[in-house]
Amino acid sequence: MATQTVVISERRISSLRLFMTYMRHNPPTLVGFIITIAFYGWSIIEGILQLLGMVFHNPAIGWALLPYNPFAVNYAAAFQPPSLKHIFGTDNLGRDLFSEILYGAPTEALISILVVGSAILIGGLIGMISGYFGKYVDETGMRVTDMFLAFPAIILALAVEAAIGRGAINAAIALVVVWWPTYARLFRAETLRIKTQYFVDAAKLSGTGTMGIIFRHIFPNVLTPIISYATIDLGNVILAYSIISFLGFGVPPPYPEWGRLVSEGFQYFPAPAWWYAIIPGVVITIVVIGLALLGDGISEYITSGGITT
Amino acid sequence: MGLASFLIRRGINMVITVLGVIFIMFIITHIITPNPAVAWAGPHPVPSIVEAITKEYHLNDPVYVQFYYFLLAVIQGNWGEDPMYHQPIIQLIDTYFPRTLELTIAAMIVIIILGILTGAIAAVHKNTPTDYTIRAFYLVTWSMPPFLVAMLLQLAIAYGLKLLPATGLANPLLSPPKLITGMPTVDALIEGDWPYFWSSLRHLILPATALALVAFGIISRLIRNSMIDIAAKPFIRTAIMKGLRERDVVFKHMLRNALIPAITVLALTFASLLAGAVVIEDVFSWTGMGWLLTQALYQQDYPLVMAGTFIVAIGVVIANLVADILYAVVDPRIKLE
Repeated sequence: MATQTVVISERRISSLRLFMTYMRHNPPTLVGFIITIAFYGWSIIEGILQLLGMVFHNPAIGWALLPYNPFAVNYAAAFQPPSLKHIFGTDNLGRDLFSEILYGAPTEALISILVVGSAILIGGLIGMISGYFGKYVDETGMRVTDMFLAFPAIILALAVEAAIGRGAINAAIALVVVWWPTYARLFRAETLRIKTQYFVDAAKLSGTGTMGIIFRHIFPNVLTPIISYATIDLGNVILAYSIISFLGFGVPPPYPEWGRLVSEGFQYFPAPAWWYAIIPGVVITIVVIGLALLGDGISEYITSGGITT
Repeated sequence: MGLASFLIRRGINMVITVLGVIFIMFIITHIITPNPAVAWAGPHPVPSIVEAITKEYHLNDPVYVQFYYFLLAVIQGNWGEDPMYHQPIIQLIDTYFPRTLELTIAAMIVIIILGILTGAIAAVHKNTPTDYTIRAFYLVTWSMPPFLVAMLLQLAIAYGLKLLPATGLANPLLSPPKLITGMPTVDALIEGDWPYFWSSLRHLILPATALALVAFGIISRLIRNSMIDIAAKPFIRTAIMKGLRERDVVFKHMLRNALIPAITVLALTFASLLAGAVVIEDVFSWTGMGWLLTQALYQQDYPLVMAGTFIVAIGVVIANLVADILYAVVDPRIKLE
C-alpha cells in the first residue's frame, strides 16, 4: 500500500516536470502560464490581505502592498494620464488606476474559479448520469440542458440576477445557472466514450456500485480532456462577468471591479480620459489571453500524449 | 432515417425546448416579483390600481393557473401593456428587434467575409508569419471584452480619424423613413431615401464591425483547420496532379469543402451575436433590442425583460434548428440521426 502511494506521487511530480519541459519549447504556453500564475498568485495574496483587513477592522491592510490607497480621493490629481508616477493614470476622483485594478483582482479570480468549479460539479453530475444510464435518463437530461443552452448566457444571467439581487455572489450564481449546460454536454460525450472501455466492465464485475463507478472510475478519466477546456473557460467567465459588471450588475461601488471601472471610465471617454476606460479593459484582455494560451497548450500537451491517464 | 422524419423529430424537440424556456422564465419572473402589482403601480401605489393590476395579470390565482395564462399569453404574442412605456410590449419589440436584426445581419456579413478570407489565407500560408499574425489577431479580439473592441474602434475611427460617426442609429437631424421592415437602412433603401440610407449605413459600420471582430475568430480558425485537414486528402493530390491551377485547387476544392462545417457554426454564431449585441448596442447607443433590455433591467421593468429574453431565446432555438438542418442538407454524406 505504502509503496503504491509513493509511486503515484512520483508520477505526478514527473508529469508536472514534463509539462515544464514542454512549455520551454512552446513560448506561447509559457507566456500563458506566467500570466495565469501572476493573476491568480496576486489575487490570492491580495485576497488574503483584504480578508485580514476585514478581520482586524483595518481596511488599510488591504492596500498595504499597493503603491496608493485605491479609495483615497484626491481632486488635485484627477484625470492624470499614464506617467511614471501613475503608470495607468488616475480616474475622475484622482485615484490611482493601477492600485484600483490590483485591488479588484481577487473578485475576478474568485468568481472565475467559483463559476467554473460549480459548473464542472453540476454539469459533470448531470452529464455523467445522462451518459452512463442512457435511454430516457439521457433524453431528459439533455432536453433540460438544451433549454438552458437556448438562453443567451449573458441575458439569462442578467435576468437571474434581477431575480435574486445584485452583487458578486449573486452574479456568480447567475453565471453558474447558464454555465453548467456546456459541461453537461462535454461530460456526457466523454462518458459515452469511456463507459465502453474494459476497466469499467472490470469495475462492474468486481461489484463496484453505480455511483462508485461514476465517481471513482469515470470522473477522473473524463476530467483530463476537460481540464484544458476549463482553463480557457476561466477566461470566458472573466469576460462574461466583466460584461455583467460593465452593465452595472456587479459589486456596488466603490469596490474597483474591472468591468465597472470600464463603464465609469466610459463616461469620460474619449475625453478627458481615454485611459480610464481602455486600460482596465486591456488588463481583462491580457488575463483572458493568458488563460487561452495556457488552455491551448494543455490541450496540445494532452493530445501529444504527455499525460498517460 | 429520411429528412422528413429527421425534421419532425427536431421540430418536436424544439417545441419541448421552447416550453421549457417559457417555464424557466415563468419561474424567474416569480422569484423576481412575488407581488409585481406593487412594483408596477409606480413609486406611490394607489390600492385601487394595485388591485386592478392584480386582477389583470391573474396574480391572485394559484401558481399553475398563472402559468397557464402566462403560456397562453406567450403563445398568442400577447405580453400585455408595458408598465413603464405604457405601450403594448409586442409593439415595443416590433420597433426595437428589427434594429438588432439589422446589426446582427450586418455583423454576419463582416464575419463571413473576414472569417473565410483570413482562414483561407492562414491555411495557404500555414506556419508562416502571415498565419501567426492572423491567429494572434483573432486570439486578441476574441479575448477582448466586447465593450473594449467597441471603444477601441470608436477611439481610432470615429474620434481619431473622424471617418465614421461614433454613436446612434443615423443622423438625428434627418427624419427617419416610414417603418416597413423596421430596419433603418433597409427601410431607407426601399423608400429611396438616399441621405438617410447613407447616414444609417455609416452609423451601422462601426457597431457591426465591433460585433463581428469578437466572433470572426471561430470561423477563421475553423476554415483554416479544415482546409489544412482537407489538403492532406487524396482528392487534393489528384487535383494537383491532373494539373489544376493552385488557385482552383484552393478555392474550388479546399475552400468549398471547408465551408461545410463552417455553415453550421455560422448559424450558431448568429445566435451568439443576438446576445452579444447587448453590450455593443450599449456602447454605440444603437437603440435596438439589447439596448431596450438593459434599459428595462435598470428600470426593473421585468415584463419587458422577460419578453426580450424570450425573443432572443427563440432566436437561438431557431438558429440551432437551422444549423442542424443545414448540417444535414449541405453535405449529403452526413447521416441523419
